[in-house]
Amino acid sequence: MAAAAATAASKGNGGGGGRAGAGEASSSRKKKGPGPLATAYLVIYNVVMTAGWLVIAVGLVRAYLAKGSYHSLYYSIEKPLKFFQTGALLEILHCAIGIVPSSVVLTSFQVMSRVFLIWAVTHSVKEVQSEDSVLLFVIAWTITEIIRYSFYTFSLLNHLPYLIKWARYTLFIVLYPMGVSGELLTIYAALPFVRQAGLYSISLPNKYNFSFDYYAFLILIMISYIPIFPQLYFHMIHQRRKILSHTEEHKKFE
Amino acid sequence: PYRAVQVEILDAKTREKLCFLDKVEPQATIAEIKNLFTKTHPQWYPARQSLRLDPKGKSLKDEDVLQKLPVGTTATLYFRDLGAQISWVTVFLTEYAGPLFIYLLFYFRVPFIYGHKYDFTSSRHTVVHLACICHSFHYIKRLLETLFVHRFSHGTMPLRNIFKNCTYYWGFAAWMAYYINHPLYTPPTYGAQQVKLALAIFVICQLGNFSIHMALRDLRPAGSKTRKIPYPTKNPFTWLFLLVSCPNYTYEVGSWIGFAIMTQCLPVALFSLVGFTQMTIWAKGKHRSYLKEFRDYPPLRMPIIPFLL
Repeated sequence: MAAAAATAASKGNGGGGGRAGAGEASSSRKKKGPGPLATAYLVIYNVVMTAGWLVIAVGLVRAYLAKGSYHSLYYSIEKPLKFFQTGALLEILHCAIGIVPSSVVLTSFQVMSRVFLIWAVTHSVKEVQSEDSVLLFVIAWTITEIIRYSFYTFSLLNHLPYLIKWARYTLFIVLYPMGVSGELLTIYAALPFVRQAGLYSISLPNKYNFSFDYYAFLILIMISYIPIFPQLYFHMIHQRRKILSHTEEHKKFE
Repeated sequence: PYRAVQVEILDAKTREKLCFLDKVEPQATIAEIKNLFTKTHPQWYPARQSLRLDPKGKSLKDEDVLQKLPVGTTATLYFRDLGAQISWVTVFLTEYAGPLFIYLLFYFRVPFIYGHKYDFTSSRHTVVHLACICHSFHYIKRLLETLFVHRFSHGTMPLRNIFKNCTYYWGFAAWMAYYINHPLYTPPTYGAQQVKLALAIFVICQLGNFSIHMALRDLRPAGSKTRKIPYPTKNPFTWLFLLVSCPNYTYEVGSWIGFAIMTQCLPVALFSLVGFTQMTIWAKGKHRSYLKEFRDYPPLRMPIIPFLL
């Protein structure tokens, strides 16, 4: 879902700026974008993020070639993954201060779900780091983010190659389910270790009369994918139809 | 001279002609037009109708009179369906009855909540009984105010709100009741002193909240929708109006803080925090409306917290 949500961009998501998808397709009314200073900052932000995820992509390929297998590649890209994915928290700020026209709530939800998977699941439950499911979502996220951030970069510069727009609104068809599978399998793999260690859990009695069962919480998270994933997925499909068919007419003018 | 007016109602999105009303009195109100429209389209009862002069404009008010609007002999109104509506009174009663009932289920330790050996047992801590009285009193007060005190300016709200609101109230009530009435509940660290202080805060704030509700009710005659600036009355609890626009919210937050200190229960504190956040948003909105509507609005007042917020 973290994979799904981030690609689901178009209307909702604020990644690094620009008229996130829906803009160039539908608006006949001119929307005032971010000022020149904000635009410069956002271009830099998006370029840096594109570069960061490229580093992760290259890191994965090199590690695969060096090891000769696709198992346990997480360790070779652990640091840049944590750095760049956590850095995406800035996108919430961008929406909050208004330089990106997306909903703070939606963006927060998307970024937080990614950050949750990176830190509260994969980082916290070391036994899960060698699972293949981790590779599954890392690959999905990496491809998605490289396309998404370059999409924003080009949009901000008013020079969006059709290929990037096409990629953003098409590849999700495979990357979404792939990412979601990786995420769910990883959380599922973490469960026994969470139970065993009582990770992040508090039990009664205590003086604040509060309890929290992280194991149950993770199960609730997994269940929440059931209503949320289809909604995001079909929203993207709908956006795809709208934006890619619209562009057929506009292509001449680009 | 008497001049009948014609009214045509078009769909705001499709511009389809939905209804044509012949020989309408110029002094007719929008409310009367809505009633006439319902006759031809019974599925759109008046509360669901939004009529406006411009498809993207603001809704006209029920009290607006046709001849006072910028229309010619044929008035064109645009219709938008607001969706299924439910009355505020119904929503409030459902929202508040839930927590009252749910808390008691936990208080009496009804089976399947705690282990079977605790079924229908009673807590040995006085504060647990006190908390039940306070929580129940709070919601009974709210129910009675809904029935006898409040004067609502809107009759209805969208139906989906009742699901959202009930989930919030009922969910939090269950969550806090679970811990307060738990067999492993830990009473407050500073014992009876803490409970007494908290109880005092709670009672004062409940009285304050009630006083404000009464003062607001007296501002508005029965059946009317007038709005006036609220001022302090002889009742000392209303003197908070000198410093805030929405002292009812101030007292409400105070009550829950009192309850949180009394029970020393984190979920109660979290509920207070969420409630405070929501009430602050409402208070700021109300404060802004007051400022917009009344030129002579007292400048010292803040929305919800004196001097601060």
